Amino acid sequence: MKISMNWLKEYLPVEHSVEEIANKVSLTGIESAPVKLGTDLSKLVVGHINSIKPHPDSDHLNLCQVDIGEAEDVQIVCGAPNVAADQYVIVALDGADLPAGKKIKKGEIRGQVSNGMICGLDELGVKESLVPTAYQKGIYVFPAAEKPGADAKELLGLNDEMVDLDITPNRADTLGMRGAAWEIGATYDKKPAFTDPKIDDSKVESVNDVTINIKADNLVTDYLARTVSGVKVAESPLWMQRRLWNQGIQPVNNIVDAANYVMIELGEPVQIYDLDKLTDKAVTVEMATDASKLVLDDKITKDLNHDDLVINSGNDTIGLAGVTQGQKAVVTNETKNILIESAVFDGTSVRKAAQRHDLRGDASNRFEKGVDNGAVEISLNRVVELINDITDVKSISQILVGKETPAKPTIIKASIEHVNRLMGITLSDQEMIKILDRLGFTTEENGDELTVTIPSRRWDMTIEADLIEEIMRIYGYENLKGTLPSGNETNGGYTPQREFINKLKNVLLSEGMDETITFGLVSKKEATDFNTIDSEYTRVLHPMTEDHEYLRTSLIPGLIKTIAYNKARKTTDIAIFEQGRIFDREEGNDRPKEVEYIAGALAGNLGADTWNTNAKAVDFYDIKAIIEELLGFLNVDATFEFLPSEKIQNLHPGQTAVITADEKTVGFVGKLHPEYQANSSVDDTYVFELNVDSLLALAKKNVKAQSAPKYPSINRDLAILVDKKIASGQIVKDIFNNGGEYLKDVNIFDVYQGSNIDVGHKSLGYHLIFQNPNDTLTDDTVEKAFTQIKDSLIDQFDVEVR
Amino acid sequence: MSLNDKLKELRESGIDDAKRAEHLKDLNDLRVKLLGKKGPITQALRGMKDVPKEERPEIGTLANNVKKDIQEAIEARIQEVNQRIIAQKLQEETLDVTLPAQGHKIGTKHILNQTIEDIEQFFIGLGYEVAPGYEVEEDHYNFERLNIPKDHPARDMQDTFYITNELLMRTQTSAQEGRDMDAHDFSKGPLKMISPGIVYRRDDDDATHSHQFHQLEGLVVDKNISMADLKGTLEALCRHVFGPDREIRFRPSFFPFTEPSVEVDVSCFNCGGEGCRICKYTGWIEVLGAGLTHPNVLEMSGIDHTKYSAFAFGLGPERFAMLKYGIDDIRDFYTNDIRFLEQFKGVN
Ligand SMILES: [Zn+2]
Repeated sequence: MKISMNWLKEYLPVEHSVEEIANKVSLTGIESAPVKLGTDLSKLVVGHINSIKPHPDSDHLNLCQVDIGEAEDVQIVCGAPNVAADQYVIVALDGADLPAGKKIKKGEIRGQVSNGMICGLDELGVKESLVPTAYQKGIYVFPAAEKPGADAKELLGLNDEMVDLDITPNRADTLGMRGAAWEIGATYDKKPAFTDPKIDDSKVESVNDVTINIKADNLVTDYLARTVSGVKVAESPLWMQRRLWNQGIQPVNNIVDAANYVMIELGEPVQIYDLDKLTDKAVTVEMATDASKLVLDDKITKDLNHDDLVINSGNDTIGLAGVTQGQKAVVTNETKNILIESAVFDGTSVRKAAQRHDLRGDASNRFEKGVDNGAVEISLNRVVELINDITDVKSISQILVGKETPAKPTIIKASIEHVNRLMGITLSDQEMIKILDRLGFTTEENGDELTVTIPSRRWDMTIEADLIEEIMRIYGYENLKGTLPSGNETNGGYTPQREFINKLKNVLLSEGMDETITFGLVSKKEATDFNTIDSEYTRVLHPMTEDHEYLRTSLIPGLIKTIAYNKARKTTDIAIFEQGRIFDREEGNDRPKEVEYIAGALAGNLGADTWNTNAKAVDFYDIKAIIEELLGFLNVDATFEFLPSEKIQNLHPGQTAVITADEKTVGFVGKLHPEYQANSSVDDTYVFELNVDSLLALAKKNVKAQSAPKYPSINRDLAILVDKKIASGQIVKDIFNNGGEYLKDVNIFDVYQGSNIDVGHKSLGYHLIFQNPNDTLTDDTVEKAFTQIKDSLIDQFDVEVR
Repeated sequence: MSLNDKLKELRESGIDDAKRAEHLKDLNDLRVKLLGKKGPITQALRGMKDVPKEERPEIGTLANNVKKDIQEAIEARIQEVNQRIIAQKLQEETLDVTLPAQGHKIGTKHILNQTIEDIEQFFIGLGYEVAPGYEVEEDHYNFERLNIPKDHPARDMQDTFYITNELLMRTQTSAQEGRDMDAHDFSKGPLKMISPGIVYRRDDDDATHSHQFHQLEGLVVDKNISMADLKGTLEALCRHVFGPDREIRFRPSFFPFTEPSVEVDVSCFNCGGEGCRICKYTGWIEVLGAGLTHPNVLEMSGIDHTKYSAFAFGLGPERFAMLKYGIDDIRDFYTNDIRFLEQFKGVN
């Protein structure tokens, strides 16, 4: 809400610059910014068009002789369709500045001298939607005579300075000029002064000609009304128009404008109906019947239901309570008699209705945040006063009471000691009482206890903490000296899970992989592509886009997307990983389990072609090496295996392994399936994914130091010919199973298939290392074990030992 | 020629030959040739029988000296030749050390995680525990326990991805507050925790909005926790992150789960408060929201708000990183352009 300095001055002496006020209010109350209108405008005056005649060389231009307050009239060429003689208009003189650096120059238009320009409001920077409808397609015409040559910028309010309050939901009390005046006044230790509206008693008739029924009692706190007869609908006076457009409200007519003006002034939305258009002389506030309708205009009709609180007259709905009124009883130029409604409706009900029907606006915004039910009657009377002042009405009804709830002040007790302790300050009782007085609160003191009475305009205040905030902010946060909590020492740190994650990430970083972060919400396809955990899908109810609709079941799709994104930008050598959660939901549960995973991907080359090195395309064993290093760092007592797998969707059936720890699956590694790869716009890509929580659950290794072996080891080389389908892993496992207690290590040094080897076979070569930590091994012992190994391999895998 | 003279001549010619030799092999050959059993000195000494007896010791001494002198000349020359060989080798092995090297690359930690870990380390040092939390959270913890009941207007401030009526993608890491307060045993001392993590909002992604982003929540519950404690803690944090000369200021604000609530500004690290583009010419930059935990929030965890008090704060790692490194598009964090990621190698 923008607080006009001109308007504020009616309530409060304002001595400081708008910048200073905005800064101070930001620090003590509400975030604010200074706004200065019309800084880009100059040389704008009132002109009176004395005569007008068509331009001789144009079918739409006119030559206007305009009195601009100087000795002689000046000629101005004007093309506006609504220009006419005897209008008071805005004239931009020779040399005038208009928004966006536009400059007006005296000149000739089709051979005729033009000494400036007659302007529309939009040409002065007023948003077109705020210009009164009659003047949107042409020049603005002052509603009454103004002095020719007078400063038009000032008359139009376009020299106003404002403090723009960015109001948080709890401070809706400042959504009116009076509330804002209280706030700014408290900041500067000044009390605002207001004049209450006066109703012309001579016009009040004691005839209650409209009945008001409140049927939805729980949603209506107050409902007051007056009828006014003999109004004359016309344009509002300039002073009212300019305040409205500066507030972002389009002037409509003096009746509608008066209601809007009071909403800005007092913060209370007021609604006005054409009394003669009511279906009968009664209004009822009740829940809408299903399938009833509210016609807003010729184009828009809202379908209502039993959740909508409406204002009905007879069988017609004339308004959606607190939100808008319908076309049925709208005030028009022909309106003679009106019904003015000042009410307080339930905020939640208004908010939901406004949302449901997409009709959020100034009124609903105020009701949903709360309004002062102590200002209902004043607001009603103020509208009546304004309309009577402007249109000199015939008669005014007494107040028609639909419902009235007395506005009660709030009483909050606070302990002086508690206030000081919670803030870490040392204010005296008198200092606190003085601050509360600045806010317009009255305080009684009893020992350490303050009893504070808070007027209904500050309905946000309910508990001691609210009071503490008021004291602290007015005292000033700049007076608060920082300290650190003085309580007992605590041991900070990460959870074991996080420590473990940090370790895993460090290994992958050391392996040259960059860390990425991708989205947890993915497309249906991405949720499906690598659902190796066989999770049920979890979907958000109202996704913004199909791209972010499902909770991820794997980190792999995000990595692939990253590779594709980079490939499109010519980065093709990629080593990346992500550590994050995937969402594993079991059927029958709403809530998925959140499981920590870590996944990586390699694509393109390792290294680069340079003057002394050659790039090497990444392959399966490059990514496997990374995983083996990672598993080596886990410090767990478990046997890991890479089991060939043809079954993982979207992975290459011949280059994929499931990774197990003690025979339980903990992840997988593999090359993307060529088809999937092509569809994903990436080149050869290798991926792995590991379940961090499963790895964390493995038993920790109990590391005990051992001295380096004192006795020499004995090596044997084993070369075998074996069926191609037999995996080396199976051979090694068998070697260990039969190698006896001194077999320490088995390293493969050769894999060969091709010429000299039977088709369907391969040749494998292993170094076997035997060692006895406590004694010198004999050849005899090793030979025995070696024989046993060979025999078993022949027996198990039909190998030929070469 | 006397034997004496002969020996002297041999000495001269031998030393001369040694000095002129260019290769180690020649020097070795010279040594064998001159000093060996068949060498000229040995040969010459066969003429000793013609020398009078009393002169023989003198000749013998001379012969030994001649041998020694030649030996020394050869050794000296060997050293010289060796020096020359090493010098030549060094020259041959000289490299262009300005040529680029190719070695093992180390990966770069994501800048958001570097930012988060920097903040975590700061708080761990102050005795805070780092609590994880759930990305899928109950409405109960994400809203109700934070003093945001159903139908509270504040729910409009955060558009939420619901999964069911009661389950949602958490919109704030503050959702962890209730869980941690419930779990904490206050007889063992104060609760001091931070909770970093991913949160979700129904926003369209653009340069300043992302439907997924990070938050880091902080919460301290103890007897006598004050607003001044909050200010001192955040002052220290801002100095750790943005530089030792930074000041902070509090401005009143509103969050349903704190009362009083404040926005926290840090003095501009770019201009030092003079005013510049980064601080929008105010000298201050808004960095986080904080406040004293609302009594209702404490009471919902069974904590007596008349005995205990608490402060809480929530900050955005994206915002911190954007400010600190001049990143102007939040989407850059999630598109993972390798060139973007790698520029932050080792910054924290
Ligand atoms: Zn700055």
